[in-house]
Amino acid sequence: MVKADGCVAIHADGGAYKPLNWMNAPNTLVEEDDRWLITNPKGEELAIHIEESISDMEFEMGVDPGLEKDGVEAHLQELLAAKPQVLEDGLELVRREYPTDIGPVDLLCRSPGGDTVAVEIKRMGEIDGVEQLTRYLERLSHDSRLHPLRGILAATAITQQAKVLAGARGIRCVEVDYDDLRGAPSNHLRLF
Amino acid sequence: MQIRADRDDLAEAFSRANRAVGTKAALPILQGLLCRVSDGMLRVTGSDTEVTVRTSVEVQVMEEGSFIVPSRFMTDAVRRMPEGTVTLRSVDGEIELEGNGPRFTIRQLAIDDYPDLAEPDPAGAVKVDGELLLEAIAQVTVAASSDSARPILTGVLMENSDSGLRLVATDSYRLAVRDLADVKMNGSGLVPARGLRELGRTVASTVINVAIQEREAVFSSDRGSLSIRLIEGNFPNYRQLLPDRYPNEVVLGKEILLDAVGRASLVAEDHIPIRLNMGEAGVKITVQRRDLGGAVELVSGVYRGELDEVDIAFNARYLSEGVMATDGEQIRMEVVDSFKPSVIRASGRDDFLYLLMPVRV
Repeated sequence: MVKADGCVAIHADGGAYKPLNWMNAPNTLVEEDDRWLITNPKGEELAIHIEESISDMEFEMGVDPGLEKDGVEAHLQELLAAKPQVLEDGLELVRREYPTDIGPVDLLCRSPGGDTVAVEIKRMGEIDGVEQLTRYLERLSHDSRLHPLRGILAATAITQQAKVLAGARGIRCVEVDYDDLRGAPSNHLRLF
Repeated sequence: MQIRADRDDLAEAFSRANRAVGTKAALPILQGLLCRVSDGMLRVTGSDTEVTVRTSVEVQVMEEGSFIVPSRFMTDAVRRMPEGTVTLRSVDGEIELEGNGPRFTIRQLAIDDYPDLAEPDPAGAVKVDGELLLEAIAQVTVAASSDSARPILTGVLMENSDSGLRLVATDSYRLAVRDLADVKMNGSGLVPARGLRELGRTVASTVINVAIQEREAVFSSDRGSLSIRLIEGNFPNYRQLLPDRYPNEVVLGKEILLDAVGRASLVAEDHIPIRLNMGEAGVKITVQRRDLGGAVELVSGVYRGELDEVDIAFNARYLSEGVMATDGEQIRMEVVDSFKPSVIRASGRDDFLYLLMPVRV
C-alpha cells in the first residue's frame, strides 16, 4: 500500500493490524517490472519483490478527518462522577481520585444507607480491574471512617471471568452504556 | 531563495502562522509553514485546513523562491537566534538560518504536497474596531462547548441583530450574547471558537476587516489574514431561551463577588454546586462538601424582587466565568426562580448578557 504522503506499507491478509514492513515518507519509490525499490533520505532501502500482480488500484481518499477516540476511561470517570446514581440509586460522589497509599481509586461514593463505595472504572472490565479494586478496598479498609466499605467495578463491558471473580469477592459489576451515559439526566439543568 | 531580515520581525511572522498549525493535522505536510519570497516580502502560511493564517513581513530579498519548513522547529529556531539580522537561504533541499554566530540547517518539506488552499475572499468585508472585537470574542467564547461530539456548540454564531453585529455562544448550560453596535455584516455564520481565540495572537490590529463568506469567515488586517472554516448546521434558537421578564434582581460588586465565589470554589468541584440565597442584605453564598467541609459568606448588594428571597444553586466555575466575562465594576444578576435560567449583565449596560442554568439541589 502506498499512502498519499508516500509512506509504503506491506500488509498481510490476516492477523496483525500493523504492517509487516514499511518505509515512512519522505522516500523515493522506483517501480520496476517485478520489484519496487524504496529508498529513504538516510539511504536505507526496502526492496519488495512481486511474484504475481492480481490487482493494482488507486483511490483518492481526500483529506484525512483525523482519528477521534471516544469512551476512554478518563471521560467515563468524568461522566460517572457527574452521575454516580447511574451505578446505584442514590449514590453520591464524595471525591474523584480518592488517594490511597498505593494510588488513587477512581471514585469514592456514599450510598443512602451510609456505605462507602469505591468505584474502579475501566473501558473493558477484566480480571486485572477486579484485582486492582481488591487492592484499593484492602487499603481503604484500614480507615475506620470509611466503614462499612464495598466496591463497584464499572465498565462498558465486563468479561465473564471478571464477573465471577468480582462476585466471589463481594464486588458488584456494573456495565454502563457510554452513549446513554452522555445523555443521562444530571443535576445540571440545560437550556435546551 | 535568500533573504535577510530582523530576527524579531521574522520570529513574529513565523509565530503568527504557527498558531494555525495543529499537532494532529490531517496531512503530514500541514506540520509545515509555506513560505513564499517575492517583491521584497516573505509571505508565510500556516494551516490545519480548518484555520489558516497568512501573514507577511518585509525582508531584504537577494533571491526569490518558495519553500516549506517544519513549523515548530523553524519558529523556535528563529526565536532562539541572537538579536539582530538573520539570513535565510535554501541550499540543497535545506534552509540555512544564520546570524551572529549560530547556524541552523532545516530540512525542507515537499512543496508539491502542500494542499491548494483557496485565497481568502475579502468581498463584503466590514471594518470593526479590533479591541472591541477581541473583547467580544473573549466574552462569548467562555460559553462555547469543547465537546467535539456536538460541533454546533463549539462555534460562535456571528449574525446581524437590530443594533449591529451579534456574537452568541452556548454549551447548553450557559449562553453568552454580545452586541457590537453599528456594525452590519454581509452575512452570518457559525465560526469555530477555537479559531476565533487565535485572532488576538495572529492578525489582530486596531482595525480588523471581517467578512463572513459561504464557507469561511475571513479576518484581515495590516498583519495578514485569518480564515476559519464555518461549522455547518443550525444554531439553537437562542432567542426563545431568554425569559421575558426577571422579577428579582440583585446588584453586586463584581470583584467582591468573584473573590467570594473563588473562595467557595475551594470547597466546590464541578459536581458540587454553590448555593446563593438572595435577599435584602445581598447574596449569601454557601457550599458544603461531605468529605471536606464548607464555606459561607455574605456578599452585600442591593436586592429588588417580588419574592422576599430566592434560593438558587450554580456550578461555581460557570458562575465565575460569567461574572468575569461581564465588563464593569457592578454586575446585575436577574433571577426568575430556582429552576429557570438567570442572567448576568453589567449594571447599566445591555450589550452583553450571560444566561446561566441553575443546578438542581
